[in-house]
Amino acid sequence: MMRLTEENFYRLLEVDVDASPFEIVGAYKDMKYLYGEDSLASYSFFSGEERREILAKLDEAYSTLMDEEKRSRYDRSLMERDTLQEGARSPRDRKTFRCVSGSKYGTSSAPLKIRNELKDIVASNPVIQEILSYDVLSGEDLKKIREALGISLELIGEITKVRLIYLRAIEEDEFNRAPSRMFLRSFLKSYAQSIGLDAATVVTRYLKRIHD
Amino acid sequence: MARIWPIGGGKGGTGKSFLAGNLGVLLARNGFKTLLIDADLGAPNLHTIIGLSYPAKGLSDFIHKRVETLQETVLQTPIPNLFLISGARNRLDASNLAYEQKMKMLRAILRLSYDYILLDLGAGTSFNTIDFFTLVDSGIFVCCPEFTSVENLYRLIHSVCLRKIRQILKVQHFQELAEKAEARNQDATINRPGYFLDTLKEIDPEKGEIIERTLQAFQFRLVINQLRKQDHPEIGRLVCKLVAKHLRLNLQWIGNVGYDDLVHGGFFAREPFVEKYPFSRAAMDLKAITKDILGMSHEHKRVANSTHMNTDAVSGSVSL
Repeated sequence: MMRLTEENFYRLLEVDVDASPFEIVGAYKDMKYLYGEDSLASYSFFSGEERREILAKLDEAYSTLMDEEKRSRYDRSLMERDTLQEGARSPRDRKTFRCVSGSKYGTSSAPLKIRNELKDIVASNPVIQEILSYDVLSGEDLKKIREALGISLELIGEITKVRLIYLRAIEEDEFNRAPSRMFLRSFLKSYAQSIGLDAATVVTRYLKRIHD
Repeated sequence: MARIWPIGGGKGGTGKSFLAGNLGVLLARNGFKTLLIDADLGAPNLHTIIGLSYPAKGLSDFIHKRVETLQETVLQTPIPNLFLISGARNRLDASNLAYEQKMKMLRAILRLSYDYILLDLGAGTSFNTIDFFTLVDSGIFVCCPEFTSVENLYRLIHSVCLRKIRQILKVQHFQELAEKAEARNQDATINRPGYFLDTLKEIDPEKGEIIERTLQAFQFRLVINQLRKQDHPEIGRLVCKLVAKHLRLNLQWIGNVGYDDLVHGGFFAREPFVEKYPFSRAAMDLKAITKDILGMSHEHKRVANSTHMNTDAVSGSVSL
């Protein structure tokens, strides 16, 4: 084991190498709370210089692990140094959230907490931001956003209480699977809100194709 | 053999005596023969916490050889099973005990026959305080959720950690290894125990493990006292996390005692707080902490057979 600032980003944030973006946001916030300038818990534990070093390293870890491309490069560099096991690096191997209960946010306010944290990821993820710049959104676009966030459709179902069949229909552009256009609009709104997107924007841009 | 818990906290006014006194009452009320020792040699007041105004004898009688054994200084309190060695009669210069006097006292404490012995220690990081922690390898730290209190807590824990590492290095003849570690990396000094141990383990894994295991054997507990509604309820968990990660000490947070206006009133009543206000917020927290100390282990099974527990449960008093 090494000094804190010499630890790899995963150990620094205390997350698994296959952690989802959502887990990374949560871990980063916890660490900032613990090591932050105003933290009561770590008050006087470190010198000013040590604290600055730790905080800078936390920021670097966060920005690297939240960017898929940078993260892949970083994982490769760890593997070259034999500090990361082969097989944990692929984005498709990374965790998605299948269930809220049992997680650290296993409380009644869990969906709200998740949404708030996802908003941060949405705002900082360039892939998502590019998709959101489109005038028209397809089901495929929404699926890409969801996957970039590391969230399973099952979790959205659990949060929104919308049946999986309708959520899949949204991503597969099967508009007629919803009981009515009004329901589709409602499901779409819940879907967008649950993953931290602006519901009004998503609904308008998604339904545009139907109207067109 | 008695389970000995030194209770300290670095800063004055964090509630060390309050915690010691009331834990003592709760342990005694649950059938455990419990001895409180007021080892706050400079500012003793544990006797007041448990409602004894004028202790007839005390620790100083043993230190200054007016009695032969420490047991002779033990006072019976109004609470069955609870005993006290008071510090009230200490001389004003008693806070500066010579090392030999301290060792004599510790040896005498170890010979006493009780289920639990709680040592109420003074504030600060003098050797008088630190040595009690290092010599019995256990302790309860009390801290308030305030910057000054947290600062002094870390200072105390850090001092205990350094003192222990120095002792281990000396006893195991590892000083040369420590010098090698420092030569390899100037940051790897005992002032930074985590980094120091990692470097030691790189040089000599076996010896590094010995030191780490010895440190890990400590049974340290943390109580956050006077927690208000606006305070982070898990500050204790975070403190323990930092201590484990950077000092390699096994510190376990065993609970918060909520801020309670009744505590102030309890001091005026001059009787133990948990007896005066057994169902107050702070008393309920203290009971939960006592449960943790008892550990619901084999020791706790004794409680089930204790007549005290049944009696108190009926009377609505302070049983857990």
